Amino acid sequence: MMDANEHEMYRAAIHGDREAFEMIIRTQSRALFAIAYGILQNREEAEDAVQDALVKAWKSRWRVRYPEKFPAWLCMITRHRSRDVFRRRRSVPLPHEIGDAIEPERTDTVALDRQLHSALAALPELHRSALMLRYFEEMNYQSIEELLGLTNGALRGILGRALATLRKQLRPALASLHRL
Amino acid sequence: MTIHNNIDNFLAADLHDDLSEEERHDLHTHLVECPTCRQLHQENKIMSKILEETLRVEKPDPAFERRMLSGFRKRAPQKAGSIAKFIVDLMRLRSAQLATVAAILLALVQMGKLITKEPRQATVAARTALDRSELQPDVGQPGETASESAAKSDQLNIKNFAAATPGASAGGTSQAYAGQASQFAAGKIAQTPERAKSEPSASLEKESVNAPSTYAEAVGPPLANRKLIRSAKVEFEVMSFEDSVQRITVMVHEGHGYVATTGSRKQANGKLRGEVMVKVLPDYLDSFLQKIRGLGELKNQTLGTEDVTKAYFDTDARFKNARVMEQRLIDMLKKNTGKVSDLLQVEKELGRVREDIEKMQGELKYWDSQVQFATVTILLAEKDMEEPAAFLLKERTQLALYVNDVEKVYNDVKTLASPKVQTTSAQLDRDNAGRVAAHLSMLIVPEESDAVVSRVKGMGRVENFQVQTERVAQGGNGMSENAKTKRDKVALNITISRETDEQPVQETSLRILTSNVDQNAARLKADAVKSGAEIRNSTFSRDPDGREVASIFLRLPMKNYAPMMKSLSQLGAMKDVSVQRHDKIDKNGSEETAPADISIQIYSRGNIVSSDTSPLATLRNTVAQGVAALMWSLRMIGVAIAFLAPWAIALVGVIWITRRIARRRNKT
Repeated sequence: MMDANEHEMYRAAIHGDREAFEMIIRTQSRALFAIAYGILQNREEAEDAVQDALVKAWKSRWRVRYPEKFPAWLCMITRHRSRDVFRRRRSVPLPHEIGDAIEPERTDTVALDRQLHSALAALPELHRSALMLRYFEEMNYQSIEELLGLTNGALRGILGRALATLRKQLRPALASLHRL
Repeated sequence: MTIHNNIDNFLAADLHDDLSEEERHDLHTHLVECPTCRQLHQENKIMSKILEETLRVEKPDPAFERRMLSGFRKRAPQKAGSIAKFIVDLMRLRSAQLATVAAILLALVQMGKLITKEPRQATVAARTALDRSELQPDVGQPGETASESAAKSDQLNIKNFAAATPGASAGGTSQAYAGQASQFAAGKIAQTPERAKSEPSASLEKESVNAPSTYAEAVGPPLANRKLIRSAKVEFEVMSFEDSVQRITVMVHEGHGYVATTGSRKQANGKLRGEVMVKVLPDYLDSFLQKIRGLGELKNQTLGTEDVTKAYFDTDARFKNARVMEQRLIDMLKKNTGKVSDLLQVEKELGRVREDIEKMQGELKYWDSQVQFATVTILLAEKDMEEPAAFLLKERTQLALYVNDVEKVYNDVKTLASPKVQTTSAQLDRDNAGRVAAHLSMLIVPEESDAVVSRVKGMGRVENFQVQTERVAQGGNGMSENAKTKRDKVALNITISRETDEQPVQETSLRILTSNVDQNAARLKADAVKSGAEIRNSTFSRDPDGREVASIFLRLPMKNYAPMMKSLSQLGAMKDVSVQRHDKIDKNGSEETAPADISIQIYSRGNIVSSDTSPLATLRNTVAQGVAALMWSLRMIGVAIAFLAPWAIALVGVIWITRRIARRRNKT
């Protein structure tokens, strides 16, 4: 599953090797960003969340007992952090998306884009994270499973359902696009 | 059909390249067959493409990682490695935590040991180990190799320590402690080097297991110069004392020694017990001890060594000095110069010195003799030391009698006294209520006892007769086949009580219904006295309804019981007859004279209607009860009203108010 080099890197990071941790930041931060973006759907907020999660992970790295669990643990911290940010944002009313949605459509592509975003927003958080990991990072199923702690069957189900939901919601727009 | 049902999952996996060859093949076959799924496949493809395109914009820019890194460096700066930081980091490691816990536990254990003074115990054990090991090389056979004896003393050591700390019974613990003990022993030796040089200790031996030559050097020559007084004490159980002494004598001669003293004592049962003190050459002591094991069963053995080397050589040195001093004084006398008083002074001094010399010489000689021979004290006891010499048969007889005239019998028994029949105590008790009892104790020679007992038995009714025999061993205990048995004097205890106190053989209770209670009771009493019964108790009573009851309690001999019952049946109809018999196990008292109790109740019927149940009284009672019941229900009604009234008032009030409000509304 995990090659010896990676394993050694995670072990070193847990034991306080900064170099190793920075290496992990280099290799893993994009995946973490995808997860955070999946939850928050906002790039700045997602970046901040990843940053916070990394600092927090460095400070409490000694809690991880097995190096092979380190990536999943990082992912969990990011998810928690993102959810915190999301919850805080919720209290601030930000209904401009709804207003946008009601606004008459200008062009089909823009409308489609907007529709896609709102459809994405309607998906469950886990589905969104999985989609982002797939479409941002083009990660294969096995890596996504490891990161999110899922089985192959579950991930297939999640991605299949996510795509199906999007498809159903966007069918009219797609049809029009098709016509064009 | 599973593909059709899970088409969404399959399509997504197909798009994302997660299908195996087989699955992909199945899916495509299905897509060819199923137009619906084909449609979905198309849509999914477009959908995925749109997603890719849309999300490409949202992807992080290439500088993302650098931003993350710099942000991380800014927010979690690398601190200079201070010691505190290092310790904190260390403490976060699981292994470091475990090690710390272990260290704390170990410290606690050590502290506990310190508090409970366990190390001191270890020191004691080490000392005993040391003492034993001093002894060990001497006891060991000359042929024994060093490693053998080392192993032996090691065992000794461990055993010693296990005995010293009874709590440490677990093998591992005692091993560990033994190790500790030997460490202590080593420390002890380091403190007293001169000792360590001359005497191999347990720990030294232990260390020298790998190099036996060290042991040989340590034991070799210095031992020859040591002055050791050795003594042993052994205790045997033997078949015959005399034989054993002879065998010991032979063995002692073999061991180049001699028998110093013997002593013996004969016991009442003919068994001998004695002591033999033997002197043998120290070199032969061990072989001698081995040999005498064959004498009999070894009960006890102690072996002791006293080291008098230091004292001996001190005395020796002083002795030599005194000798030189004496020589010089003699020389002074020989020169014969100086005054007479000086010469006298020298003479006096010479006398003192010679006295000292003699004393020291004697001391040295004594030690020499002690060292030359080892003393063995052999205690011998013949087998079955405790076998009794004779048995004494002790007999005790208890006799309880019921008699009519206690005093007469008491005096009769007393007259039986003779040199062979001795009264040891006699007591007659009489109290105000007329109760009399007597107790006699006698000692009778065995031949006369049976005759006396049978005579006393004939004086009254025997209530209880008990013979107790005990065999007492003399001059030992247990069994013996050839000891004689002797009869001792018989102790006879007699208790004499009055017949009236005796428990009846038969108890009868009955009721007789007659019309004339008074007269019949009087007749019954007269009959009873005539037939030799004793009236113990009688009562008469009459109740308001005219019922009369007389009860009479009789005691009479069994032979008069049947006639009495017959005469009773003539008085009237007998009812509720119950008979209870106490048959005595001891049948030697005659049935004829044994007492029987009869309790008789004579009664008549009262008035048919009692004053309490007359019609007038019944009417009065009924009326009174009716009135009482009426009063009770009245009271209950009052209580009920008191409970309900407030609620009723409240209800009425509420209804009134609502009606009023309704009326006012109607008006408006």
